[in-house]
Amino acid sequence: MLRVLVPILLLIVALALTLAGDRPTPRADFTFINRGEVNTLDLQRMSWMQDLRVGRLLFEGLVQQDVFDPDYAIIPAAAESWSVSEDGLVYTFHLRDNLKWSNGKPLRASDFLFAWRRLLLPDTGGDYIRQLQLIRGAEAFTNWRLDALARAAEGKSPTGSELWTDTLAKFDELVHARAPDDRTLIVTLEHPAPYFLDLLAMPPFFPVYPPLVSQYERVDPITGRLIIESGWTKPGHIVTNGPFLLKIWRFKRDMRLEANPLHRLYDSLAIRTIAIPTVDDANAMVLAYRSGAADWVTDVVAPYRGDMYQQKLAFIREHQAEYDALKSQGLDEIEIARRLPDDPRNHLHVLPVFGTYFYNFNCSPRLTDGRPNPLADARVRRALAMMIDKRAIAEGVRRVGEPVARTLIPPDSLAGYTAPAGLHCISDMHTQADRDSLIAQARSLLAEAGFPDPSKMPAISILFNKDGGHDLIGQSIASDWQRHLGIPVNLDQKELKIFREDLKNKNYMVSRAGWYGDYGDATTFLDINRIGDENNDRNYQNPAYDDLLRRASLEPDPHARLDLLQKAEAMLVEVELPFVPLFHYCNIFLFNAHKISGINAHPRQTQNVHLIDILGDGKGPDTPRSTPPRRNGDAK
Amino acid sequence: MTGVILRRLLQLPIIVGAVFLITLALAWGIPGNPLENPEGRRPPPEIAQAMKAQYNMDSFWSFATSYVDRATGTRWLRARLSGEHSRRDADALAAGLAPPVHYVFDLGPSLQYRDRNVNEIIGSALPVSATLGLAAILIALVIGLAAGVVGAIRPNSPADVATLTLALIGISTPTFVAGTLLLLLFSVLIPIFPVASWGSPRDIILPAITLSLPFAAYIARLSRVGMIEALSSDYIRTARAKGLPERTVILKHALKNAFLPVLSYLGPATALAMTGSFVVERIFTVPGLGQHFVSAVQNKDLFLIMGIVVVFSTMLILFNLAVDVLYRWVDPRIT
Repeated sequence: MLRVLVPILLLIVALALTLAGDRPTPRADFTFINRGEVNTLDLQRMSWMQDLRVGRLLFEGLVQQDVFDPDYAIIPAAAESWSVSEDGLVYTFHLRDNLKWSNGKPLRASDFLFAWRRLLLPDTGGDYIRQLQLIRGAEAFTNWRLDALARAAEGKSPTGSELWTDTLAKFDELVHARAPDDRTLIVTLEHPAPYFLDLLAMPPFFPVYPPLVSQYERVDPITGRLIIESGWTKPGHIVTNGPFLLKIWRFKRDMRLEANPLHRLYDSLAIRTIAIPTVDDANAMVLAYRSGAADWVTDVVAPYRGDMYQQKLAFIREHQAEYDALKSQGLDEIEIARRLPDDPRNHLHVLPVFGTYFYNFNCSPRLTDGRPNPLADARVRRALAMMIDKRAIAEGVRRVGEPVARTLIPPDSLAGYTAPAGLHCISDMHTQADRDSLIAQARSLLAEAGFPDPSKMPAISILFNKDGGHDLIGQSIASDWQRHLGIPVNLDQKELKIFREDLKNKNYMVSRAGWYGDYGDATTFLDINRIGDENNDRNYQNPAYDDLLRRASLEPDPHARLDLLQKAEAMLVEVELPFVPLFHYCNIFLFNAHKISGINAHPRQTQNVHLIDILGDGKGPDTPRSTPPRRNGDAK
Repeated sequence: MTGVILRRLLQLPIIVGAVFLITLALAWGIPGNPLENPEGRRPPPEIAQAMKAQYNMDSFWSFATSYVDRATGTRWLRARLSGEHSRRDADALAAGLAPPVHYVFDLGPSLQYRDRNVNEIIGSALPVSATLGLAAILIALVIGLAAGVVGAIRPNSPADVATLTLALIGISTPTFVAGTLLLLLFSVLIPIFPVASWGSPRDIILPAITLSLPFAAYIARLSRVGMIEALSSDYIRTARAKGLPERTVILKHALKNAFLPVLSYLGPATALAMTGSFVVERIFTVPGLGQHFVSAVQNKDLFLIMGIVVVFSTMLILFNLAVDVLYRWVDPRIT
């Protein structure tokens, strides 16, 4: 008997030993569930939304957006002031006095240059390298480095360390960004870009602490490549300059942040500690909120979220008169929820974001298998786009209140930019006669393009990735095309990675797609349709379109510039249709607006978590903040 | 016995090496670029290429050789001997910073979570999975053995039919159903246990029970069959004939032999439970190894896939060895 018990006893001892190691941490002032585990805190290599959100808490750039301003106006951050030359090309930033890194060392203007050089080095592999190449000479520097590395690989170059010395010198020589003293930064742009300041409010352009980061970068003595090691972003190692400090970061478990006593906002912060547990399971996120373990779920993806939204609508209907009155005052959705009674159904907030779901049309003259591509003809694309029942997709499939899209850029998201009207689709037609005439119009477009009998057209295949409900949207569109035009349609579902590869190789006819804007300008959406842009999955090549964008980039007058960009977008969404916009994304939040302030409802959806205030806890101003309606008049 | 152990330990690196090569060849073939954010913008092609070079992913052999170089500790040894480590530590200290961590058997960085080293990921997740797995196996043993013995004493009695039915349900209920049900019942409706939390002994109970169910059911069936067989054997008849109380006959004499099939199942079962369950970890937000493995394959996170496979295969071999040793000790008839 004893011998039988021994293995069991061994198991018990092992269990007790492993259990003894863990200690729970006390509850933070504010707990939120981010979109997923943070991939990296290395600013220059960031691109995921959840990373950027934490990046803004831990680090601080030259400027930031006022996220409660209807135009997301740029306000000072590390720079206390700046001036722009008359031609819009030269920016001079004046840094605040006494800026400090979290280890107490002074933050210098040259620290920004260090970070920007990192981003411009191809070795770093930063996703936002193109955006920084707005600085004069930056692209030339990246290209010089690529050439030098290629020469080194062929053995035609000096040693690795000599190449590195040359690289540092080349940066100073080529890139028009200078730090004449510790508090001044002068940057010259390639062309006028009113959105440059908005770009600088993004974490990839924030500074990193050079003595720390260079510890983790080695120059390979043979290839001359910079080898970047992980590790500097861990608590105990990382040095930051933002309002919060990283105290705990346990992989796929949690993150804990504490207010930074060296930051100028320290005394005004309404929360001192932030906990960010990693919860991947869609259902567990909602349960964590309901059980009180989290104060804010930033992305409700539970399969029953459509039902949750219907409950919210039912709640609004119960308070319809009040809701309409508040809405007519121009209040934002969060503020309206705050003024309506506190009800669990009212904790769900559906907010438009800076992104659009659309369908790509492959515009290449031939498909990858060599067949001629019927979609190369804009008339075919236009006919197909007109036949999509967008409302059925937004209201029947998605069911979370996302608005039907006629444009690529979400309307009202950019100050001063008026969206083009876009193309009508079948669900815009309210009578059968109108629908019939639209169908006739689509059929005649196809006939003009050489397909008098659409049922004899080559079958169109729709590519999408599995999961995420993309299959339902594909089916809906396929049935529209089959029903109204009689075109044969195939559905082609693939794994996400393979789907991405197919898009990159243009190995598809029609595919699902989505795009989120990065900065406050139309070009963040429009650039992806330029010839040669690496995100031009459509292989759309139209010199006239590129020329409009080029002229806009040279246009010094902001109004005239926006007009040119609007013309460019109109060309895409009304005539050329390299893609068809379906709906604008919404973000679904779960939090109690009666308890929490500091989350904004602006369609740009940048959230600065350090603005969070727990209402009624006696800390911070305890008065709710909301976005006032946009002022009359337009561009800044 | 020592000979057996030695031989098995010598075989270990060969088996692990073979597993490594086969897995790497398969993982290399997974389509897609792990260095790309699948929801984000695509970097320019020359930047994407530079990134691949950064992680030695431009060719299979450069990846495999650099991996072996790191993982076997050769690179560490070189850096130590050349004084590179001490130089970097001194630099860090001079700048007032914490010195960097140097892993001896460096399993490389995760490609998806680039700030993380695979050593660190496994180092933090394996204890969690191990705790959960051990707890689950313990619960499974208690429930399973009790059910099996009760059933075997009176085969085909209502108690036997009931435990057999329960065992069948236990085997066939998917953990995501059982887990979600338990979570709804005991965390949301009756809030006894926390949701989405890990760190206190209370957090382990629900996931451990969920994870234990299929193991318990299997153990119940194994011990029932073993017990029925043991109870009908001659030495039990002798024990009863010499007037031993039934309690002693069952618990002391019969159980010992009935336990043998359970013991041999326990080795792989413990290894399996300890290396984590994707579903249970997701439902209960347990930061264990199982979810990393699944997401590593989905993300084509080569270093993480290889690291987990190497650790898992080593564990499996060691647990089987441990069970063999225990087996010989419990049942001296086996040599």
